[in-house]
Amino acid sequence: MRGSNLPKTITAPPFQPGVAPTPAESGEILSEDQLGHLRHFDNISRLPDNDWSGMLQRVPFQDDGATVRYQLAYASFALALTHLHRLPAAPGLFQPMLTRLIEKMLLPTVWGYWRDVSRGGGALNSYIQRDPEWDPVARENIMYSGYLQTMITLNRYLFDDRRFDAPDSIVLDTASPFWGGSSHRFTYDRESLNENLYWQLVENGYLGIACQPNCIFQICIQPSILSYRLNDFITGGARADEITAGYKRAWEEFGQLDETGHFTCFVQYDLKNPIHASDITVNAWLGTLLNMWDPALVRDRYSAFMEGELKQAGPGELFVTQPSGSIEAQLMSPMAWVAPWASEIGDQATVDGLLAYADSHLGREWRDGGLFYRRNDTAADDLGRATLVDPLSGNVMLGYSRLNIPDGLWRLYNRPLAPDHHRTPALVRVADDIDVSQAVFDRDAARLTFRVRRRTDLPLRGRSADAGTVEIGRLGGQGEWELRRGSEIISSGTGDTLVVECPTEATTFTLTKRGGDHG
Amino acid sequence: MADSPIDGRFDLVDHHGQHVTEQTYRGRWMLVYFGFTNCRSVCPRTLTKLTDSLERLGELSDRIAPLYITVDPERDTPEVMRIFLENRFPRFTGLTGSDERVTAAKAAYRVFSQRGQDPADPDGYAVPHSAITYLVDPDGHYVDHFVDTADAEAIADRVRARLESAQ
Repeated sequence: MRGSNLPKTITAPPFQPGVAPTPAESGEILSEDQLGHLRHFDNISRLPDNDWSGMLQRVPFQDDGATVRYQLAYASFALALTHLHRLPAAPGLFQPMLTRLIEKMLLPTVWGYWRDVSRGGGALNSYIQRDPEWDPVARENIMYSGYLQTMITLNRYLFDDRRFDAPDSIVLDTASPFWGGSSHRFTYDRESLNENLYWQLVENGYLGIACQPNCIFQICIQPSILSYRLNDFITGGARADEITAGYKRAWEEFGQLDETGHFTCFVQYDLKNPIHASDITVNAWLGTLLNMWDPALVRDRYSAFMEGELKQAGPGELFVTQPSGSIEAQLMSPMAWVAPWASEIGDQATVDGLLAYADSHLGREWRDGGLFYRRNDTAADDLGRATLVDPLSGNVMLGYSRLNIPDGLWRLYNRPLAPDHHRTPALVRVADDIDVSQAVFDRDAARLTFRVRRRTDLPLRGRSADAGTVEIGRLGGQGEWELRRGSEIISSGTGDTLVVECPTEATTFTLTKRGGDHG
Repeated sequence: MADSPIDGRFDLVDHHGQHVTEQTYRGRWMLVYFGFTNCRSVCPRTLTKLTDSLERLGELSDRIAPLYITVDPERDTPEVMRIFLENRFPRFTGLTGSDERVTAAKAAYRVFSQRGQDPADPDGYAVPHSAITYLVDPDGHYVDHFVDTADAEAIADRVRARLESAQ
């Protein structure tokens, strides 16, 4: 039996940003699946350098939309959204993961493709022939540089980590003894990276920055726009507003949407030739990101784009048929972006249906405490149901969708952190064998609530000196504090930090000023 | 660390017909704006705003060379620029040159412009362009820029701060 089309019309929920509290604000606890996705991101971040186990695509050369740079980048996005909306008082869980993902992003195996792609002569720019360029950031290649920029910016914005503000702190370095010649080393810092991309945008009239030479995609500039917005939050200014206003004007020439109402995918810039894409993956990818700063347009198109795309399998299970056509379309599951898009729009019924299908039919697997979906290169089963799992979907985006909240990216873009965000009590260090399923500081009650458990079933974890513990920091402003487990006071003091031994059973702790409200 | 994104060099002719480069203005600050004299909205608005900013700076403005570089050298000859600026924006000196040299100046300042059809223009075309004003120090180093949304007061304040901190 083939999957049947759903009779119902998919409609975007009304745009009501900020009406609902975040899961953190409403006291939600992460599910086992959500914890599993976080653990998988952590596992990826801890792989040895150049060990891309489970992350490689079936095609070589990192040409496709599921390649490792996208996995590293969107895992970072997922971490940012989860930290912000679900576990805001656990920087010690997220920041080390993000730093490790950035270090992977800087490995030459991630960006070395640019030496070849920069020459042009590809399917989208066959008329261009240039000398190879090594620096993956200097010009074009926003499909790498924009993501690196965003990861660096998230690290500064969310954690006030200034390591990449130092001159020459972002190092892109490679050499091969077999190739001969000199090594290739390029250094940047957060500001010079931002400036470099900004002036490329200006030079292109804000239309964007090319991925492959001369091909300016709508999608890949969006993370960079997020970076400029977060940098505006960090340093002041309104560069993101300048860029988005210029972007809107620039795309009037080509149309953000084509005559069928689908997004224009990219422009061959020197030919002034817009290339359209009707497949759902491209439209859902851009729709997800564009919700940050143009939610009206995205919501307006959501229903039309989704029309006929969703099919029902078992009860409560939805899938999206693999589109036919381009090679690119064959490499990525549309689930990779339909699920995140539905999660961003707040169409929870669709998210739940897609994840239920994935859990039953798409190779759901636990490894080393991490939850992911195993890569599968077959497009459909004998019943016509989608089975393809590309590494971006399986490692990152289905988990992203389970962790995101309605308008999660919109909130990141539009709601600056509270001025005291980096000074309020928080879990500033989390050992690698600890699961954190709740971590929030209630400003009104001056109360830190966190829920943790120690894992003893992960053979590669728990070997460090701090195993089994979390450290609460930033307690200086609390005066005399007390830590409770349930109603029992288990510690009190006036110090700025406190190390807590975590039980193997998930346990909720609260820390308040002495005699404070423990909720 | 990467070099400055703005190179700032040019090799052009001013609206008196004199050959000028960025070296011509060494020892003075340069306030540089790109546009074209047939521009109906953005250029008049920006040049008016920048004139206002310069007036707000009082005597400090004596240390500044306000320059208006064309993105439309085909129509903007030195004479055309002189008449346009002397009549309407006399603080500014217009710079033009060959297509090649104007293109080089645009690249040095990372300026976007693109000739396109405009039925409302007597010649049938316009040259939409980026609306950014650059501040270059007396040693020829780019130090700041102002986007279209910055008002006259904000520009004057930022230029004043730069000039005073350099004293």
